[in-house]
Amino acid sequence: MRLREIERGDGFANRLLIRFISMVSGMRLPDAARVAFYHKEFFGVPLGAWTQAAMRGPSPWSVAERELMACMVAKWNACAFCVRAHGAVAAKEIQRPAVDAAIADFRAAPISGRLKSALTFLEIMTLRPGDLNAEHAKAALGGGVSREALMDVIAVGALFSIVTRYADALDFAMPTPPEFERAASMLLKRGYASY
Amino acid sequence: MKISIRPDHRALAEALRRRVLEGPGETPPALRQASAERAAGGSAAEAPYDDLARQIGEAAHSVTDTQVSSVLAAAGSERATFEIIAAAALGAGLSRWEQAMKTLDEVTDAPA
Repeated sequence: MRLREIERGDGFANRLLIRFISMVSGMRLPDAARVAFYHKEFFGVPLGAWTQAAMRGPSPWSVAERELMACMVAKWNACAFCVRAHGAVAAKEIQRPAVDAAIADFRAAPISGRLKSALTFLEIMTLRPGDLNAEHAKAALGGGVSREALMDVIAVGALFSIVTRYADALDFAMPTPPEFERAASMLLKRGYASY
Repeated sequence: MKISIRPDHRALAEALRRRVLEGPGETPPALRQASAERAAGGSAAEAPYDDLARQIGEAAHSVTDTQVSSVLAAAGSERATFEIIAAAALGAGLSRWEQAMKTLDEVTDAPA
């Protein structure tokens, strides 16, 4: 269910900001950004700090690889908004057919073996976290994923286990494909931090 | 010279957990903690929060308007409802974080 206060913004400054960004970008500000502005000292600021670090901070993974991981967590959680939003960001650097192939079946997709090892771990973490054990971590490490890289994968998995859940609980409105493209460019440029 | 500092994921996760589950808000921290635990597969919370938190943990894409509006009626404001939704989502995500990091720590700590 959508909450009206998130839609319109809490406080005069945020309402103006939402209108201003929508006007300048030529599209309705996506709900993901509206949530980041809402009650932000409670949630948007600490969540944005970790998300920015995990998705844009130094990592053995490229930004596109991390966005594809987010997209895959969204797929496994059946969050259509996040699949499209993060698939669009990943497709800015990875070829769109490779992103689509990963969404369909990552094991057969034209992506690196290292990334497939990471996604294998992430799939269990997302869908069957109780089954996760040291053998899965060993398999990822044996598949060319370093300890630091696996920690980054786990961070992305945890964050998008959170994001996909509130996106669906709050019934995020679905932008059009061209709007997702524009939002992806903004997300690449501006990142996730909420100040 | 470009200096790259690795993210301190553990500290960032803990800061998020503390703010959402222990920090000030419209809802009591105990209710947020109960919602987070429920979404992570833990014991039942009080009604009507239990149903929404369980649903967010198990399959958030199937959350109904009724489940959210019941919490809105009980919690008394949209801001309080948002806090419960955020806490439940956080509980599901951080339980995965802890479980996955435990497996990584076990491998790292194991003798070569």
